Amino acid sequence: MLKLLKKARPVALVLILILLSTSILMAAGKAEDAKDKPIKLGGMYNLTGGFSSIDAPGLSGAKLKAKLINEAGGILGGRMIEVVGYDTQTDQQAAATQSKRAIDQGVVAGLGYGDTTYVMAAAPLYQSAGIPFVTSGATHPDLPKWVGDMFFMVPFGDDDQSYAIADFAWNTLGVRKVVIWTDDSMDFTLALSKFFKERFIELGGTIIHELFYQTGDTDFSAHIARLRDARDAEAVFVGSVPNEAGLTVKQIREAGIKIPIISADGYDTELVATVPGPALANDVYFSTHTYRSDDRPEVLNFIEEYIKEYKREPENAFAACGFDAVGLIADAIERAGTTEGKALQKALAETKNYQGVTGQIAYTRPSRVPVKPIAIIGVQGGKFEYLDTWWPEL
Amino acid sequence: MRLKELNLRSKIPPMAVLGLIGLIFVVIVDKFLSAYITSVISFIFLYMILAVSLNITNGFTGLFSLGHPAFMGVGGYIASLLILPVFRKEFFLPELPQWLATQQWSFFPAIVMGGLIAAIVALIIGYPVLRLKDHYLGVATIGLIFIVKVILKNNEQYTRGALGLNGLEFKTSIWWIYFWLVITVYVAWKLKFSSYGRTMLGMKENEMACSCLGSNVTALKIMAFVIGAFFAGVSGGLWAHLTTVITPDSFSPSLAFNLVVMLVIGGTGSISGSLIAAGGISLLIEYLRPLEEALGMYGLGQILISVVLLFVLIFRTRGLLGSSELKFLQKEV
Repeated sequence: MLKLLKKARPVALVLILILLSTSILMAAGKAEDAKDKPIKLGGMYNLTGGFSSIDAPGLSGAKLKAKLINEAGGILGGRMIEVVGYDTQTDQQAAATQSKRAIDQGVVAGLGYGDTTYVMAAAPLYQSAGIPFVTSGATHPDLPKWVGDMFFMVPFGDDDQSYAIADFAWNTLGVRKVVIWTDDSMDFTLALSKFFKERFIELGGTIIHELFYQTGDTDFSAHIARLRDARDAEAVFVGSVPNEAGLTVKQIREAGIKIPIISADGYDTELVATVPGPALANDVYFSTHTYRSDDRPEVLNFIEEYIKEYKREPENAFAACGFDAVGLIADAIERAGTTEGKALQKALAETKNYQGVTGQIAYTRPSRVPVKPIAIIGVQGGKFEYLDTWWPEL
Repeated sequence: MRLKELNLRSKIPPMAVLGLIGLIFVVIVDKFLSAYITSVISFIFLYMILAVSLNITNGFTGLFSLGHPAFMGVGGYIASLLILPVFRKEFFLPELPQWLATQQWSFFPAIVMGGLIAAIVALIIGYPVLRLKDHYLGVATIGLIFIVKVILKNNEQYTRGALGLNGLEFKTSIWWIYFWLVITVYVAWKLKFSSYGRTMLGMKENEMACSCLGSNVTALKIMAFVIGAFFAGVSGGLWAHLTTVITPDSFSPSLAFNLVVMLVIGGTGSISGSLIAAGGISLLIEYLRPLEEALGMYGLGQILISVVLLFVLIFRTRGLLGSSELKFLQKEV
């Protein structure tokens, strides 16, 4: 028996090592309560993997806001804010473990993600720990219902942005019959098209036909042939992510089809102008965050500070969303006078007129999807032009 | 003296000692360590289950399957659909057919059912696909991952499409994972040191010679594939109720590559090797996180793993242990 134990020694040793090292891991991340220690926020983002182009700017924006607040003297009478970036590798499992880790390390609130999938792996853990979570970029309008009362959104819901462009197409462009193209590999784009159809039919419009494609497709000739056959179509709605935004415009215009192309914030990218070129980038309209082509002081200040900090323009609206997420939380902590979860949740829920970079934010709807203005942008001759602001009805 | 010793040894197999040490470890983790550490250990155990079960397919028989994520997806969705409470189904999946909408299974049978369905899928797929060899099989099984993904995305009535099933109940305690880890290792061990396992290992060396000796090579291949798929299906169910969410993208080809890396580093065919590699790699990645965050160099862990893999491939092609086991664990024959 003794000999046997001896023989099992390496295994026991390895296990003891694992145990020791895990306890070190834990000790390193012990929560700190001291008053002079910084207030930690968990920045949950996919910094590597397929979502990094959307999420990395989000964290940059969040860190920038924390830095600006600290330079201005911090919150709660001089305490600093620290946004700890947790890389979840475009992996739901990492999103779950890293959220637990963040909670363990004593973050007072979580923020992050530009996509529903990862929010749903992380936010419920914050909910059950009684810590608020603010998503900077995920737009599904049912998210607050799925997660619970600790959950808040910075962006508008997909329903709002689709309704905005549907109303614009109906009222301003006078469109009555549309063709719809949808990227069916993403829940985001599926939701866009779903809500657009819903509103457009409600207004009395007709959907001639709906065709699907997938992220990464480069040839839309079959779609265009069908579009050409639909002679009475007055516009085409493209439920797209930025990747296909430029290509779809280019190919439709190259085929000589001149009807307006309409979309939502997936089109909010320079690609819409640069890929087709100024001669072809005409009659494109999309709804997006009020941040583009906007000269409010918040926006100008944000862009200036971002360039100063990172030596480049903000990559996309997600950077501004991350910036606003930290701003919202800091504002709520200041009003609550504490970082305790319940009080913080209450203060966040009472947010009424927060002037964010991406627009004014208020949580007055029962759905807790923020009431935010939405900008309608038109593209003519490769130039983006702000046309209108749409407000959700209450 | 010597006799007595031998006698004792045959009564208490080293594997049981190992299992007991593991049990004490789980008690300590469960009672004294934080939720984060517990979830890290849980995922390490899960990776161990996956690595060992993939070893049954790839390591023992020398097949090259990358299909584990596909079977995890099948098992995960089946288990989730069976476990999801009836009232939540009405809310989430209103178009579910009656016979499924009224099902509300408890955890264990649902997980087993997930594994069984995954095994059946493997059986159906395996018959035609296992005629392919080497990287052709690898390509075909990657195809399987995408087929499963597309099916899951397009049958919204059952799966909610790309949104996936979220808000699942947290059910996979570290105890459940440890239980399944023990079962997986036990099955793999018994298989490896049975006549079936021996033939499988022989097949890896020389398939022609094996079939000339009268072994039914095809049946053995299918058997290894199906057993591997069963445990992958089980892990899928465990995974879903550990992260509390499952989507068609939860199990991607990159997961398959990670598992293959574990097999290569641990030694294809070695159960203890894949246990060590799965634990070591997962721990390493977790350890490097604070460093990544301090340096602002995200992705460092993944780069390091790739470098380790390159070195193993160049200098120690057989991996840590080749296809043998740790000496003290082996039965004396």
